[in-house]
Amino acid sequence: MESAGTLDVPALFLFRCRLKNVTKAISPEALQAHDVSVVFSGLRALDHVSLYVNPGEILGLIGPNGSGKTTLINALTGQVHLAGGRVVAGTEDLTGCPPRVIARSGIARSFQIVRLFNAMTVAENVETAALAQGENRRQAKERAQGLLAEYSLSGQAGEIAGNLNYGDKRRVEIARALAARPRYLLLDEPAAGMNESESGDLLKLLAALPQKHDLGLLIIDHDMSLIMRLCHRVHVLSSGRTIASGEVEAVRNDPAVIEAYLGSSPEELS
Amino acid sequence: MRHILTAIVLLGLIAIIVFGIELTGTRLMVRIATNLCIMLVLVLGLQVFMGNSGILSFAHIGFMGVGAYVSAMLTIPLQMRSMALPDLYPIVAHIEISPYLGILLGGGIAAAVAAALSYPLMRLSDAAAVITSFAFLVVLHTIMLHWSAVTNGPRTLFGLPNITTLPLAAGFAAIAVITALIFKESRIGVLLRASRDDEIAAGAMGANIPYLRWLAFILSALLAGIGGALWGHYVTSFSPKAFYLKETFVVLGMLVIGGPNTVTGAVAGTILVTLAFEGLRATEGFLNSIQLFSKPVIGLTEIILAMAMIVMLSLRPGGFIATREIGDTVMRWFKFRDKTQ
Repeated sequence: MESAGTLDVPALFLFRCRLKNVTKAISPEALQAHDVSVVFSGLRALDHVSLYVNPGEILGLIGPNGSGKTTLINALTGQVHLAGGRVVAGTEDLTGCPPRVIARSGIARSFQIVRLFNAMTVAENVETAALAQGENRRQAKERAQGLLAEYSLSGQAGEIAGNLNYGDKRRVEIARALAARPRYLLLDEPAAGMNESESGDLLKLLAALPQKHDLGLLIIDHDMSLIMRLCHRVHVLSSGRTIASGEVEAVRNDPAVIEAYLGSSPEELS
Repeated sequence: MRHILTAIVLLGLIAIIVFGIELTGTRLMVRIATNLCIMLVLVLGLQVFMGNSGILSFAHIGFMGVGAYVSAMLTIPLQMRSMALPDLYPIVAHIEISPYLGILLGGGIAAAVAAALSYPLMRLSDAAAVITSFAFLVVLHTIMLHWSAVTNGPRTLFGLPNITTLPLAAGFAAIAVITALIFKESRIGVLLRASRDDEIAAGAMGANIPYLRWLAFILSALLAGIGGALWGHYVTSFSPKAFYLKETFVVLGMLVIGGPNTVTGAVAGTILVTLAFEGLRATEGFLNSIQLFSKPVIGLTEIILAMAMIVMLSLRPGGFIATREIGDTVMRWFKFRDKTQ
């Protein structure tokens, strides 16, 4: 049960080495979208998009409004029907599986608009994710207590989630996603609506996630400086197509990316 | 801890009512209290499904009818059986079981019917789920009206042994309170409540929502069936129209006014509405006896219940006790007091 949090030193060392080596190549355990297309009543929301997230890696998914970022997360988690392509996690083919099956294979997500269980307590919210993975109430409770402490939410554990302020709700959502012990975590604009200091705190928290919880992280955000500082690699979508993908530095100077963010000068992207 | 406190408070409340009335009450008071306990079983049964899944179910009273008729079919004494149910199938026509067993079997069969028929409905949400549950009630009612061999058709079925006493009804009410509390706090209950608050998020987390709803619906039908059989052995004669819209409306009114999301709310709503009903009935009787108006006053109870529901839904949509169980509220109050001192 307690495999995630308790890496011993040699394992951690190996893990770090692996991380350095795999950022450029696809790991056999990676979460991948192969040639994924999604069509909404004739409109191609995603057009043959391929992307991968390795374990232990942070991938930024960026692009102008309406470029298909959220649709891609929805495609990876089974919330939309695929018009083509495949979704694979390691050796598991998840194409066409319903959201709950994908969730149980270790892929968790957050939502662009916070979706908490508003009539339930903060602790119950976090417990739910562990319960949905098949844990019993006692295990789920312990899991939730640990995560709430980690995200300094212990004081609010008994509050009704709907009554929290916005920043706290965001953190509860992340803690809830982690309670499922995911292999991959997909965050849809976690910093949206946060002020400078809140998003600074969030950045620290997110940067530590892959090592601390042994997962691969895919993150959508409009806050470019956050993405550029946080991510190992960046994937850029525009009008449902991949226009660039790779190391942060290379993508930042890609002319296609600059054009997609028309009006944004390269300085603004730094 | 707070859940145990909730159970103690609610069971204590029932115990106070029952013992108080057993010791001092008139026959009228005993009748009101027995009815109250039977209604508690029915309302808590509805709370198990509606409160946790967030889906309004009209079918509940149909399962009450199933429980009542199953127990009647098996417990009406054999010498009366051929008169009460002349066309009953030979397999069951000569079986007479204990009414206590009949009550449990009534619940069991209601649960089995729910298990066999309801799964497809559990995939539906919102208005579609409500409308199909209403259709389910109509189907069950129509079957009760026309399956003469088992129900005596639209005519009154009589001859059930009168075994439902106040202590028996109160015992089942206590079991219903504990069942509803345990279910609410179980793994299934928590996941179901998550799906009530946000179906998409709960699904994205791995919850198998139709299956969870189905389990709750079966448990809900079990309690409805037991409540129906208890009621049957209390009134001893009834016809299918006892299990239709009027009864549905009363049970729903009690739950909605009390607060469907909490067990405390279900209990409080049942007690409040029962008290209000008896008060209004007495008022109605009084108005008619002094002949204040030239014509008799009727239907006061229904009108006031309907108005109470409208007022409650517009002012406090979550009902009287919307989110926190009584034990939780008490514990928080003590903690708050400790902090401020």
